[in-house]
Amino acid sequence: MIKNREVGATLRMALLFSLAWHGAAQGQNDTARDLFADYKSAILQIRIIDLTSGSKSTIGSGFPVDDSGLIGTNYHVIQLAASEPQQYRIEYLTESNKTGELSLVDVDVVNDLALVKATDLDRKFINLAPKEPEIGMPVYALGNPLDLGLTVVPGTYNGINRAGYHPRVHFTGSLNPGMSGGPTIDREGQVVGINVATAGNQVSFLVPVSRLQSLVAGYKTRGAAIVNMQAYIGAQLLADQQEKFSRLLARDWQSISLGESKVLDELVPFVKCWGGSNSSDDKAQFLSADRSCRSEDNIYLTSTFATGILEYQFIWLEANKLNPWQFYSYYERLFGDFAPGNRAGEEDVTGYQCDNGFTKGASGRKSKTVFCLRAYKDYPELYDILFLQGSVDDKDRALISHFTLAGVSKDNGLAFASKFMEVSQWQ
Amino acid sequence: MAVIIEVLGWGGRRRQYYQVDADQVSIGRGYDNDVVLPDPHISANHLRLDASGDGWAITDLDSMNGLQVLKNPSPDASVLASGSEIKVGRTRLRIVANTHPLEATKLLHRLERDSSQLNRVSVWLPLLLTVIVVQIVALYAGTVAEWEWKNAIPVILSAQLAIFVGAMLWGLVGRLVKQEAHLLGQYSLILLASLVFTGCEWLLSTLSYNFNSVLFGETVQQLVAMSILLLLLSANLALATNLPSRSRWSGCAAFVGLLVIVGTVGQMKRWGEFSQFPQYSSTIATPTLLVVNGQTSEEFLADITPLFDRADEAVLKKE
Repeated sequence: MIKNREVGATLRMALLFSLAWHGAAQGQNDTARDLFADYKSAILQIRIIDLTSGSKSTIGSGFPVDDSGLIGTNYHVIQLAASEPQQYRIEYLTESNKTGELSLVDVDVVNDLALVKATDLDRKFINLAPKEPEIGMPVYALGNPLDLGLTVVPGTYNGINRAGYHPRVHFTGSLNPGMSGGPTIDREGQVVGINVATAGNQVSFLVPVSRLQSLVAGYKTRGAAIVNMQAYIGAQLLADQQEKFSRLLARDWQSISLGESKVLDELVPFVKCWGGSNSSDDKAQFLSADRSCRSEDNIYLTSTFATGILEYQFIWLEANKLNPWQFYSYYERLFGDFAPGNRAGEEDVTGYQCDNGFTKGASGRKSKTVFCLRAYKDYPELYDILFLQGSVDDKDRALISHFTLAGVSKDNGLAFASKFMEVSQWQ
Repeated sequence: MAVIIEVLGWGGRRRQYYQVDADQVSIGRGYDNDVVLPDPHISANHLRLDASGDGWAITDLDSMNGLQVLKNPSPDASVLASGSEIKVGRTRLRIVANTHPLEATKLLHRLERDSSQLNRVSVWLPLLLTVIVVQIVALYAGTVAEWEWKNAIPVILSAQLAIFVGAMLWGLVGRLVKQEAHLLGQYSLILLASLVFTGCEWLLSTLSYNFNSVLFGETVQQLVAMSILLLLLSANLALATNLPSRSRWSGCAAFVGLLVIVGTVGQMKRWGEFSQFPQYSSTIATPTLLVVNGQTSEEFLADITPLFDRADEAVLKKE
């Protein structure tokens, strides 16, 4: 992604943005009232307590999934306790103000789910729905928004959405901070999804309940809590990217034209592309047309570190009124302006290592090619890769190709780069 | 044997001298002395020199501020040999015999001998015009928006003003030290250095674009810039002062070395600092400047594979 300018419209999905929700049909409200009365005792506030200060650092919601005290919530709610167990503990708070200790037993970091267990909690649990509801069905998100007490948010089930590689349920209703990890239930009182994120304006997302069912089943088969959480998460990330890239690399990559070049089209349904150009700008001295594609896969690792993003971008330039020297000096400035699409801090990754050289494609075009990568400090064999290529053999036209892969293995990164260079060509 | 009394000024240079053809010389502020000095800290009759063998015996005539022997080549402390230096009041005097050997005549510096060539409008004007043209071309090539003179002229003028001020400063030093400003010469030197610098910079960046090698990297570019600065400073000093070449070069080297040290220390705090943005070589130049051929994408990917190992090593290092 380009650092300073916004090329194309990008859908920005932020975790738990808040927007007030107004009004609902009267019929829905009756059901909501009944469901709230039935299930309010099953909704827990999950709190992460800082051991040094003794105060809560993070809150979210959770709910018992069986009678053994197993509680489902989001990974991002309990992440601090998973990463730094010596600094944080987890506790629950019921609607009747009872608190108790929770221990972390299992996580599914790629689907943002976690299982915690209470030893002293004896209360009713919520059944997980055995199958996906129909699109358009009214559903009800439960949780504890903004630490304001238990709340029910009626909305509509809009099916499983493929904006990213990891499926999310599109829920039309407003989720608010603190409702993360709470259940969304249907009229029968069965969990159809776990509240996870919102894009604002009543566009919210749930983790499909099937993912929670797999996590619970996996835990029950194993029968024990995870001991080395970091290695376990690393293995999940490695397996997830392996599956994703096997699928991606096995496909036949289609190209689409941009200017005089052929560039990579939408790879798979979960990659969305946008485009733009300056051709309507009368004052423009040169022509610039771009195509930016992105998969909205933000795997939450810490509040400053996300992974799983795949993005690629092409910019076609024509000199028009500029002479070659001017054209190349603009091109050079643009070329120096690329940055990765995911955030990461010094605790999470190494600094970028870069190398560059000239490559000659099958069409005989010469390009300057830059390859940068950084390693994950806690998760071996995973890297963020930034690839950048710019044609350098035409005096008044140029094609820039770029991709960022977050959380990818060496083999998959190199295979992706090889195929990317093969498909995106300017004849 | 005639005795010569030299009054020394700043840097030990002779300001004036008195030659007295007598065996006895009196020195003081009073007009009845052989050597009359205006320093108010000197008594009316301050001291007397009496010829004694190859030197002179010195007698303080009860002066208020006394006298000090600063330098005496003779092994016998009671006699001043030719070449001795004394201090009376605030005045430094050197006492030499008229037979004292002279220092060898110094050769004029090449630049100074040629200054008649360098210090000429016919040299300065073409240089000035070349520098301005080069700057306009560079500005024009770097402009993406429509070219407007009103944007370019202030940039060019401010650069020329800086060069002019530099030349004026050196001219001032020259005027003070050597009573000769060499203004056009100094001006031409700075113009020439800026042209050489621009040329080297362009050449190195073109080389570094073609050959991804540390040989043409940032460190080498800075070394070249510092070398040009060293040559320029030394040439400026040669024109403006009489410093012997050894101390001129070592002085310039010390100054440039200090610049390098200060610059390095300034950059040092950024060493090893984490950045979430990649620092890659973003140089792109017009096709005419590209001479190397490209690798196949397979060869390129095979070449960059060690990056993974380097990143893994960086993880281990931190742990």
